[in-house]
Amino acid sequence: MKKVLIASLILAPHISAYAEDTPIVGNVQTRCLITTDTNGVYGNPLPSKLSTAAADGGVVPVIRYDVTLADAYLAKVTTPTAFSSSPALSDSVTWTGSTAVTKTSDAGMSGYEAAKVVYGPTTQFDLTIAGSTWFSSSSTAVYGVSKSFVGGSYTAIVLAECIAK
Amino acid sequence: MRAMLLLALLPFCNAVAHEMTPTYPTFSKSFMAGISVTTLNLFNKRTDVSYYEIGVFTDEWEPIPFVSQYTVIPMKYLDTVSFDVYVSNLSVGSVEYICSVSQIQAGSTVSSKICSRIK
Repeated sequence: MKKVLIASLILAPHISAYAEDTPIVGNVQTRCLITTDTNGVYGNPLPSKLSTAAADGGVVPVIRYDVTLADAYLAKVTTPTAFSSSPALSDSVTWTGSTAVTKTSDAGMSGYEAAKVVYGPTTQFDLTIAGSTWFSSSSTAVYGVSKSFVGGSYTAIVLAECIAK
Repeated sequence: MRAMLLLALLPFCNAVAHEMTPTYPTFSKSFMAGISVTTLNLFNKRTDVSYYEIGVFTDEWEPIPFVSQYTVIPMKYLDTVSFDVYVSNLSVGSVEYICSVSQIQAGSTVSSKICSRIK
């Protein structure tokens, strides 16, 4: 009986060690996350035109911004004004583009579209509410005066910026 | 010929992301006299990006000289990197933004840039 009691006393601390709580530590801080939900694709509805519009056979790129603190960031989306890679082109390319809010995680973000500021190819949105916002950037490139684009692969870049206020 | 026009045909349903924290970093004294330091964290969830370039700017977006472990940080997919930015005490008062810009590879169509601000 005495031996059992001594053994119990020796084992007791070890048994309690198995019952220790294991914490999972996390830290939420202010942040901006830029996610490319959809990469863009140019359609070629006319020999002289490349367009991301669905009606032209293209795909509009969709970029999602997630912010965890209200009124801390500006979102700036700049549509392309040049090809990042293309065959050699001898004539000028005319670029047009626009960016719009297509989806939001909070009803209060509905005013983003009306309050956006456009300068040149850049559209600026004030992210005044925490949550996710989806932006679509359409882009069109027209080559020369109704000239046919040279055959080959064309890539243009949309710049998505998240600037702390 | 037109039919051969190959456009940026990319997988367009893979979500990829870029994150930098903190939003409002602060500079503190470094181990070197006359040099201030701040630490930021980058998270790369972009399969199409392996490098991010760091930049330090004034409120007018003029570049400010700085030193870091890397000016262009190599990052694998899902990597989190913590990096220090060292700035001379003479310039630290002019620092407004610290930015990271994705260095995109051929075929990528979205470049991402996140800027933290010194308040």
